[in-house]
Amino acid sequence: MRPLTPKRLFVISAALTGILLLVAVFSLKFGTRSISLVELFRILRDTAMGRSDQIDSDFRLIIFGIRLPRIVLAMIVGAALSVAGASFQALLRNPLADPYVLGVSSGAALGAILSLIVAARSPGATPFAAFVGAAAASAIVYFLGRRGGSLDSFALLLGGVVTASFLSAVIMFLMTTISGRDLRGMAFWLMGDLTTSSPIPLRWLLLVLVITIGVIYTTAADLNLLLSGEQEAMHLGVDVARVKLVVFLGASVLTGLAVSVSGAIGYVGLLVPHVMRLFFGSDYRVLIPATALGGAIAIVIADTLARTIVAPTELPVGAMTAMVGAPIFILLLRRRLS
Amino acid sequence: MWLLLALLAAAPLGAQTNIPPGKGASRVPPATIAVTDEAGRSVQVPAEVRRIVSLAPNMTELVYALGLQAKLVGVTDYCDYPPEARTKPRVGGTMNPSLEQVVSFHPDLVLASKQSNRKETVENLERLGFAVYTADAHTVADVLASLRRLGGLLGAREQGETLANDLQRRLSDLERRLAGHPPQRVVFVVWPSPLISIGRHTFLADALRWAGAESVVDTPQDWPRLSIEELIRQEPEFLIFASSHADESARTFEDLREQPGWRDLKAMREGHIAVVSEAVNRPSPRLVEAIEQLAQQLHPDAFRAAPARGEEKRENRGTSGRVPASRLAKVQECRSCVR
Repeated sequence: MRPLTPKRLFVISAALTGILLLVAVFSLKFGTRSISLVELFRILRDTAMGRSDQIDSDFRLIIFGIRLPRIVLAMIVGAALSVAGASFQALLRNPLADPYVLGVSSGAALGAILSLIVAARSPGATPFAAFVGAAAASAIVYFLGRRGGSLDSFALLLGGVVTASFLSAVIMFLMTTISGRDLRGMAFWLMGDLTTSSPIPLRWLLLVLVITIGVIYTTAADLNLLLSGEQEAMHLGVDVARVKLVVFLGASVLTGLAVSVSGAIGYVGLLVPHVMRLFFGSDYRVLIPATALGGAIAIVIADTLARTIVAPTELPVGAMTAMVGAPIFILLLRRRLS
Repeated sequence: MWLLLALLAAAPLGAQTNIPPGKGASRVPPATIAVTDEAGRSVQVPAEVRRIVSLAPNMTELVYALGLQAKLVGVTDYCDYPPEARTKPRVGGTMNPSLEQVVSFHPDLVLASKQSNRKETVENLERLGFAVYTADAHTVADVLASLRRLGGLLGAREQGETLANDLQRRLSDLERRLAGHPPQRVVFVVWPSPLISIGRHTFLADALRWAGAESVVDTPQDWPRLSIEELIRQEPEFLIFASSHADESARTFEDLREQPGWRDLKAMREGHIAVVSEAVNRPSPRLVEAIEQLAQQLHPDAFRAAPARGEEKRENRGTSGRVPASRLAKVQECRSCVR
C-alpha cells in the first residue's frame, strides 16, 4: 500500500472533480433540443457573471430547469451507490458485493413501495422506509452468508441473488393487488430511472449524502485493517463491532437514499470501486472519496448515454449500467474462481 | 476530501436556483383563473389560453372537438385522431414526453390525462412554471363534465355546452331504446394474451353499462390479468374487442379460435363477438359514438324497433354512431368463420 499523503489525496480528488465537472458540462449539452457548445459556454458564462436575464428563456429553462437538476441527481445517486458498494465490499470482505447484486436495493425498493401504499402523502417517509428496507435486506443477506462463524463468499452472493428475487416477487405481488395508485410511475422507477422528480429537495439529499459518506470515512483506516480479517483487526485494536455497525448503517442509508429517488440502478456499486482500486489502490482513505466522485462521473455518463442513444425516447439508466456491469461482474467472478 | 466537500457544497447552487417562469408563462396576460383540476391539483389557468400542448390522445381529441385545434401547438406520438392531429409537432410518448420539447413550444396550458400520463411528468412541468390541467374521467358523465369544463376554460364555452348537450341527448336516446333489454354479460378484452380486462372503476366499465352490457369481471384493480379458466367459468355472452382496424381484430379471432380455452368459450362458438372502435379506450367525445356502436351489436333488437326520438336528427348529420358498413361486413364474416 502506498503511503497516504494529504497531497496525494488532494491531487486525486482534484483530478476526479475536474473530470466530473467536464463530464457534467458535456452532459448539459445533450438532449432533445440541440444546444451547441458555443451557445452552452455563452450561457454558462452569462450565468456565472450574473447576467442570466440575457439568456434565451427557453435555454435557461432547459439547461437549469431540466438538465442540471437531473445531472445533480445522477451525481448524488452515483456517489451514494458507489460508496455503498465499496462499504459492503469491506464489510463482507468480498470484492463482488454491490447493493443491487446483494438484494439490498430490492429491500430498499420494497420499503419505498410499502411507504407509498401506507403513507403516500408524506415525502420523508419514502427514503426512511427505503433505508429500513435496505438495512433489513442486508442483515438477512449477512446471516445467509455466514457459515460457521465466517462469511462464505458464495453463500453470500447466492443469498443475495435469492433475496433479490424473493423481494422482487413480493413487489410484483403488491403491484398486482394494490389498486387505485399510480403504479405506472412505479414500474418506470423500478427499472432505475432518473426522470422522476425527487419529492425531497436535492440539497437535502446532498446533505445526507455528504454526512453519511463523512461518517463512513471516519472508519476508513479501520476498514483497511478489517480487510485483512476480523481477528487481525481486533488484535490491532479495532473496535470491530462498532466499525461494522457504522459502515452497515451508513451503506444502508446510502442505498435507501439512492433507491428512493431513482429505483434500482445496478452494478455501479460494483464497478466503480473496482476501477478506482485499479487506479489508486485499495486504501479506503483514498478509495472512499475517489469512489464517490467516480460513481458520480459514471452515472452522469450512463444517464447521458441513456437519454441520447435511442433519442427521442429514453432508456432507463438502470438498463445502461446493467448492460455494462453484468458482463464485467461475470468476468470478475471468473477471475476470482481461477 | 475538502475538494469533494467543496464540490458537493457547490453542486446544489444550480439545483437551488429558482426557476423563473418560462417564456410561456411570461407571455401570458397577467389574468389567470385558479381552478382545481380533476386530479385535485390547483392550477392557474390563463384567462385567455393561446397555446396548448396536449400530453394524451384523448385530450387532443377533446381540443379538436372544441374546435380549438389552431391553439394546439404540440401533441404526443400517439395522438392519431382526428388524422390531422398527426401533422402537429410532437413532444414524444405519453409516459415519457420530452420536457425540453414542451418547453420549446411555449404552451400557456398543458393538458394531461391521469389515465395516460405519469404524475412525475405533471409535477416536473409544474416545477418548471407551466400550468398543467389533468383530466381524470372515471365515468361517461365525467367525460361530459370535463368537456363542459375545459370548453369554458379554453374559451369555447358555447361549443363545449352544445357538444356535451348533444352527447347527453344521444345517451338518453340510447337509454330509452335499451330500456327493457336486460344487460348482456360481457368480457371486455383489453389484451388477449395474457388476457387483460377492465376493473369496476374504469370509465370503460361505465361505458359498457351505457351500452347495455355488464362486465363479468369485477375487480378493484383497473387492468386485471384474468385466467382463461375464470373466463370459462364466468361464461360471458359476448366478448368485446376494441380495435381501430377490423382486419386486425379478424386476425386476433383467427388466432384465438385455435387456442384451447378460448375455442371452448360459448361466446366464441356462437360468434358473439363485438368489435368497437378504439375510441372506446379514450375518455373523449368519440366515446359516445363507440358506446352506440357497441349497443347496436349487443342489442340488435332494440335498434330494429321504431327510431327513438332524436334519431332522425342524427341520421341527417351523417353516419356518426353507426358501425361503418365495411366493419360490419368484417364482423359478420368473422362470425361465420368462428361458427
